[in-house]
Amino acid sequence: MSDTRTIWRALSEVMDPELPISIVDLGLIYDVRLQQSNAEIDLTFTAIACPAMNMIIDDVREKLQTLPGISETRVNVVWNPPWTKTRLTAQGREALLSLGIAV
Amino acid sequence: MLSPEKDTELRQKIAHGFVVETEEDMTPGYKAALEVILTVQGDTELVSAPAYYFASKDAPTINSRLAVYAIIQDELGHANIAYRLLEDLGVSKQWLIYGRQPHEFKHPYGFDQPLENWAEMVVANGFFDRAGITLLSDVHKNCSYGPWQRALTKVDREEVLHLRHGESWMKRLAKTGGAAKEALQRAVDWMFPITLEWFGLPDYLKKHNDQLEYRLKGLSNDQLRQVWMSATVPLCESIGIKVPAHYDEAQKHYVIEYPFPCEYDFTDKHWFFDQPIAWEQVFKRWKRRGPMNQTYINMLQGDKQGTFGGLQWN
Repeated sequence: MSDTRTIWRALSEVMDPELPISIVDLGLIYDVRLQQSNAEIDLTFTAIACPAMNMIIDDVREKLQTLPGISETRVNVVWNPPWTKTRLTAQGREALLSLGIAV
Repeated sequence: MLSPEKDTELRQKIAHGFVVETEEDMTPGYKAALEVILTVQGDTELVSAPAYYFASKDAPTINSRLAVYAIIQDELGHANIAYRLLEDLGVSKQWLIYGRQPHEFKHPYGFDQPLENWAEMVVANGFFDRAGITLLSDVHKNCSYGPWQRALTKVDREEVLHLRHGESWMKRLAKTGGAAKEALQRAVDWMFPITLEWFGLPDYLKKHNDQLEYRLKGLSNDQLRQVWMSATVPLCESIGIKVPAHYDEAQKHYVIEYPFPCEYDFTDKHWFFDQPIAWEQVFKRWKRRGPMNQTYINMLQGDKQGTFGGLQWN
């Protein structure tokens, strides 16, 4: 059976479509809730018009569908609080630096 | 610069893994070949900007149009990388962008064509950017010229996004069915063959292999064409879109199902599979340039008599 920890772990396998960094390390996931078999994810993006928005949402849905005990996934895009670099995890920061992206 | 007599020695060194870092390591032959291949890359990236700009007007949503703008921005950055590398070799960036006539730009014939609707836009990402990434990841893996090999790290990442954009939209249009899928099939019908030509002469016709011998690239034209097909053919087959190629189990490679090359009518974007032509005629067609060549380059160079007095950068 899945719990929120399983969901977080699964989300850490969802990569940014462009950079080799997970959306968890990027700091995009704000909250994960599970009610029976219904998962609800609050996430944001690094920019209001991020070109990868649809891809990331599709990937999150596809990933959670593979988890036992999850029948429905609802993704809420939130813009508050706004994403900043401080939301990067240490691992995320390292991954970006290794690509020459200053953070 | 090394003297021309050192050319054979240089090729041998490169075959053993020598990395060229500065002009001092190069012979004139190496430098000339490098300049050509960098110009082709720079020009291709640069001209994709106006090409994608027109197509973006047909984006179905605000976000999807903004996604194309982000892609355009990336492509301009990639053009700058190639032109910057050329600048380091003594070529003027000013001349590269503003000093040449439209017909002197070295991008592929596919980018002399209009992209007139959203289906063509996303197939451009799915097919043209796929060709780009096929060529550039080969260079990134194998190139003997250090500065370019390293600069492609960022380019590679960004092209992956462009590709994903194209492929996910192609899947979506196919899944929608009806008019959307028909538009997608029409786009693929003219864009698949035009991208096959992109990779150039078949290996058996190539007389000069400078790019391979200087290890500016690692794979031959035919090998690159195969790599490209190994991505695009399964993609199209998986979404119910017809392509004139398939994988042959016996021969263990992708087979083109029409006489390649063949006649093309750009006025209605039609390939005549019953009219094979020789490669000399393909070169003549390329030399005549395509219908958007002047428009795209004029857009990039700015109108000197126009409101903004031409666009110049320092």
